[in-house]
Amino acid sequence: MSDSFINETAVESAARKLYVATEQRKPCSPVRDELPELDLDAAYAVQEINTIKALESGRRLVGRKIGLTSKVVQAQLGVDQPDFGMLFADMAIADGEMISMDRVQQPKIEAEVAFILSRDLLMDEPTTADVISAIDYVLPALEIVGSRIKDWDINIVDTIADNASSGLFVLGNQKRSLADFDSRLCGMSMEVQGEVVSTGAGAACLGNPINAVTWLAREMALRNRHLRAGDIILSGALGPMVKVEAGQTYTARISGLGSVRASFSAV
Amino acid sequence: MNNLMIEQLSRNLDIAATERVAITQLSLEHNFDEQQAYIIQNALIQHRVDRGDSITGVKMGFTSREKAEQMGVFDRILGRLTQSMAINDGQVIDPGRFIHPRIEPEIAFRLSRSLTRNCDLSEVMMAVDGIAPALEIIDSRYKNFKFSLADVLADNCSSSGYIIGQFIELPANIANLGMVMSVNGVPHSCASSAAIMGHPGRSIIDAVRLALANGHSLQAGQVLLAGAATPAIPLEPGMHVSLEIESLGSVSVTTSAAK
Repeated sequence: MSDSFINETAVESAARKLYVATEQRKPCSPVRDELPELDLDAAYAVQEINTIKALESGRRLVGRKIGLTSKVVQAQLGVDQPDFGMLFADMAIADGEMISMDRVQQPKIEAEVAFILSRDLLMDEPTTADVISAIDYVLPALEIVGSRIKDWDINIVDTIADNASSGLFVLGNQKRSLADFDSRLCGMSMEVQGEVVSTGAGAACLGNPINAVTWLAREMALRNRHLRAGDIILSGALGPMVKVEAGQTYTARISGLGSVRASFSAV
Repeated sequence: MNNLMIEQLSRNLDIAATERVAITQLSLEHNFDEQQAYIIQNALIQHRVDRGDSITGVKMGFTSREKAEQMGVFDRILGRLTQSMAINDGQVIDPGRFIHPRIEPEIAFRLSRSLTRNCDLSEVMMAVDGIAPALEIIDSRYKNFKFSLADVLADNCSSSGYIIGQFIELPANIANLGMVMSVNGVPHSCASSAAIMGHPGRSIIDAVRLALANGHSLQAGQVLLAGAATPAIPLEPGMHVSLEIESLGSVSVTTSAAK
């Protein structure tokens, strides 16, 4: 390594390690031990360094993903709040488009509700009403998560630093409004080859996916990366995530929103 | 297995339920296969009927792939519902009437006609005139809720109580209804009706088959519990359990506080 890195802080060093793991498509060891224990702000600072790097390289920010929205997953990681990551335009996949298996490291997949905003949320502490007023339309979505950390050996600090383990996302094509479905009780079923591999309901995401979006809007206002008109928000899994197998197609149905597919290459 | 043995084993299970004392797994001391286990189940239900109880329907178990694989079996299991197991929606019950009860979210179907031969999905759905959210209380009569497949079949598939909400007409599509079971108002388990064999109506097809194979059939006016959408949770004193199902409404039960 060159001398210029000798004085880099722990945050910069963790960011560089994750950046290299992404570029080289080779998982790295956890970063949690290099950062202050359970310091979420430090973890977000790592994420922010790589966000700035991405923006500088010309990647277009198109939205956010919310993670750790299920009680079960929060309990597994020993946390009581969700987290967020950045979505860039190059992460968007069309419904049913073939996805090469090498595009995401250690891929897993989950079904979510995607919200698309029609206005900026620039106020302090946006309320549920502010959020609902700003939602333009809703789509069913599949999120393909991945981890740059070897064997998914993550705690909360690792996943936040690693852009909330984001990978790719697929949006459905049927534009629906909030009034078209029951965001709390909507059923979710994900199938592979006709077999149900995951099911859930709206309430699995922080009680209601809209609660997750409100949490995000407030968090973004605090961190000065406000949500903007046009932003895509992946609100969080409605059911357990599933490991992606090569050569398979995952179809998710969300009651009232229609369906969306992710197909993976054989190798 | 002779008639004397059927009588003895079914009595043991009946007494365990009425006295609320768990017994040792029957299969540890007796050899019987699944078909014989259903014969014991029939005898067990007959003891209740002899006391003035009546059969109100059937329940299906192992309808989720995980549960079946966990048990190492790949068929569904069928148990019977009787009037003495019925609990009203919203009722406060004493959990002390059970041994080690658990509760799980279900969908109930009501039949408007008898199904006396094997049927396909369209045929069974034609026989359904109502659907409702339901909760089932399971309470194995075996110590530590431990049993073999034959054991649980003989024990009426652990079924002990059921609560059914208001029946409504079938919505156009029941394959992906959100199901949220809450404890004391807080969501505990979420699933979709797709968790029940991809479509809960498929459970009726298997119920018809299993009933016919074991000497009875589904009758007009009876109800069917299609199977749990999420794993059962322990039913403790002072607990309010509710289930909401998208488009169907809700059902709940409350247990009295510990004395």
